[in-house]
Amino acid sequence: MSRGADAAGVVVTLASALALAPTSAFAVDYLSADEAAQLMFPQADRFESRTVAFDAGQLQRLQAAGVSPRSARWQVRVALRDGATLGYVVVDDVIGKFELISYAVGIGSDGAVRQIEVLSYRESHGYEIRLPAWRRQFVGKDASAPLRVGDDIANISGATLSCSHVTEGVRRIVAMIGLARQLGTLG
Amino acid sequence: MNGPRASSVALRRARPLLGTLVEVGVCGDGDAALHAACDAAFDAVAQVQRALSRFDADSDIARFNALAAGGRLDLQSHTATVLSAARQLFVDSDGVFDVSLGSAPTGWLLDGTMLHKLHADAHLDLGGVGKGHAVDCAVQALRSAGVAGGWVNAGGDLRSFGSATVELKLRDERRGGVVDFGRLHDGAFATSCFAAGARSRLTASRRVSTHSHVSVAAPSCLLADALTKVVAASGDPRHPLLARADAQAWLH
Repeated sequence: MSRGADAAGVVVTLASALALAPTSAFAVDYLSADEAAQLMFPQADRFESRTVAFDAGQLQRLQAAGVSPRSARWQVRVALRDGATLGYVVVDDVIGKFELISYAVGIGSDGAVRQIEVLSYRESHGYEIRLPAWRRQFVGKDASAPLRVGDDIANISGATLSCSHVTEGVRRIVAMIGLARQLGTLG
Repeated sequence: MNGPRASSVALRRARPLLGTLVEVGVCGDGDAALHAACDAAFDAVAQVQRALSRFDADSDIARFNALAAGGRLDLQSHTATVLSAARQLFVDSDGVFDVSLGSAPTGWLLDGTMLHKLHADAHLDLGGVGKGHAVDCAVQALRSAGVAGGWVNAGGDLRSFGSATVELKLRDERRGGVVDFGRLHDGAFATSCFAAGARSRLTASRRVSTHSHVSVAAPSCLLADALTKVVAASGDPRHPLLARADAQAWLH
């Protein structure tokens, strides 16, 4: 172990002499979907889960609005207080070059994004993340079965992590909720 | 190693901001108070983003870039702070650090909070310091909220403070996966990747050749972020500016 710059109180203790050899996977769980929903709608007295299903014509409408629908069925948590709808929470995941990000979007009853929270982050080797099987193990995962890889409190330093996939995903969800509200399928 | 490990961390949250994942970790008690502190930190980052992002048409930077030569703009305090630091870094690095990315290094002039456009070609891009400044502001928000220790990580530009010590892992930009690097206590750390196809670009003639990653530890994240560019562009991991900033660099 060697000590890095500490002239100004900065202390970096090196793991090794920068032997950047074997790479490992990395994962963090931030919030469960339920915790995120509570944070987004603290006034809600309950959340109701609804399934929104679009037919081919409706999917075409989404496509025409400039979003690729990706899925015909969505699970939506509806935030309610005294029976009135406060908003909606949708959980989704996106895959990047080396990462998988699960996130939740909170949308108000006016259809506008209220909050976006990342639920979990997985970093791995490129070839692993591109395998559908690797991805499947995270689909439908909840806080009761967290997958923890590597050190839970580590921080990644790197340059190319982009959240453009999340941004696209949020746009898709906003359009989907908008259409579902128009169609009256969210109650 | 000073201070306890961050294993006493009470809460970690992350949001997509600054075009990347921004993570906030806090140590302490009281769930509601810690969540409120995290919210304040994210708000601070969003505020910096609104001032500095060249992709946001209402930001100071986008408005400056759209100005005609001879025009001027009254800046928000975030923008004035970062541009003032950028001008100093430009002078101290003998022009290596240039937020005009070579478009017109002396084509802008900051006078207090007034930014003048001297040359029509002058376009500013604070990608090289803005994220670092946002992290510093978020840490300030956490401190103001009374948080005893924690960290903020904006896609690899990170800073820890107080009782927190965080494990550093470096992402392999070409093959994926992460490797252990070390631990950071009470300071900032930033990594830039300058490999072919990476997001970071260099405009200087001299540059890092055999290594593609530059990491810098510094007292503030703005400095750590900016100094990765100085080291990469100069190719010198012992650039004199590092010692003056109480910083240290690694090429890997």
